[in-house]
Amino acid sequence: MAGTSLGANLYRKIKRHPALIPMIGFIGLGLGSAALYLLRLAVRSPDVCWDRKNNPEPWNRLSPNDQYKFLAVSTDYKKLKKDRPDF
Amino acid sequence: MAYPSQLGFQDASSPIMEELLYFHDHALMIVFLISSLVLYVILAMLSTKLMHTNTMDAQVIETIWTILPAVILVLIALPSLRILYMMDEINNPTITVKTLGHQWYWSYEYTDYEDLMFDSYMIPSEELKPGDLRLLEVDNRVVLPMELTIRMLISSEDVLHSWAMPSLGLKTDAIPGRLNQATLSSTRPGLFYGQCSEICGSNHSFMPIILEMVPLKIFESWSSSMV
Repeated sequence: MAGTSLGANLYRKIKRHPALIPMIGFIGLGLGSAALYLLRLAVRSPDVCWDRKNNPEPWNRLSPNDQYKFLAVSTDYKKLKKDRPDF
Repeated sequence: MAYPSQLGFQDASSPIMEELLYFHDHALMIVFLISSLVLYVILAMLSTKLMHTNTMDAQVIETIWTILPAVILVLIALPSLRILYMMDEINNPTITVKTLGHQWYWSYEYTDYEDLMFDSYMIPSEELKPGDLRLLEVDNRVVLPMELTIRMLISSEDVLHSWAMPSLGLKTDAIPGRLNQATLSSTRPGLFYGQCSEICGSNHSFMPIILEMVPLKIFESWSSSMV
């Protein structure tokens, strides 16, 4: 519509239906966390290879002290013993 | 083991299964609360003569029944994810046992120290002794030390199978060409029964698994007698 911006339109709609705010909030939270976790997997997962020249197979360079999972409930990865040979 | 007319889970014999039982109680309580609320609302709405025909919108209640379910879902998701990550933790297993699914039996290999391998066939119903459980007994049980963490490596020699042990909260698919790992630990001695849990042909229901958890000394004398 001429003369009204998208933001002003949205603002007026939300003022008339404030019950939509929590819904938008929770959906945003859900989509946001899914997107952020996907990003974390893409960037930090050892199963993903971005740079074929300098880091061709990151899954071959795992160390027993690193935490690769998002959550560690009862294992303190820093304290684990590294009792395997180095290559 | 399972008993006739059983409704709930088997008693937990491992820490992870205890956590799963608590989580199941928590989620089921939420389900019961919601279902009884809905049932009450349905009955109340069906049994009243009151009518209100000019409601156009209801911002407050809409806000409440958006926030409350989202909070309930978060309260279910957080313990669930905690247990999920807990099941994946490395906990320094003391021995490794390999189990291979075949049509239609399991074979077990304890090859850490000596070469101990055996097959485990179901005992047919005609050969059961008094007191034996139908379709659940095997000729060679998997004897393991109790209260120790054991690494199970599970695979298959032919088709898909699944190595399941409900009282320990374990079920891991046996996939040909793939090695799956599960960690097993039992808090008490005894016999624990499980059955193949992936359809694998005509005798899929007839390849049970029995774990015999014993003290370490008895396990050591058993394994030296079996080699």
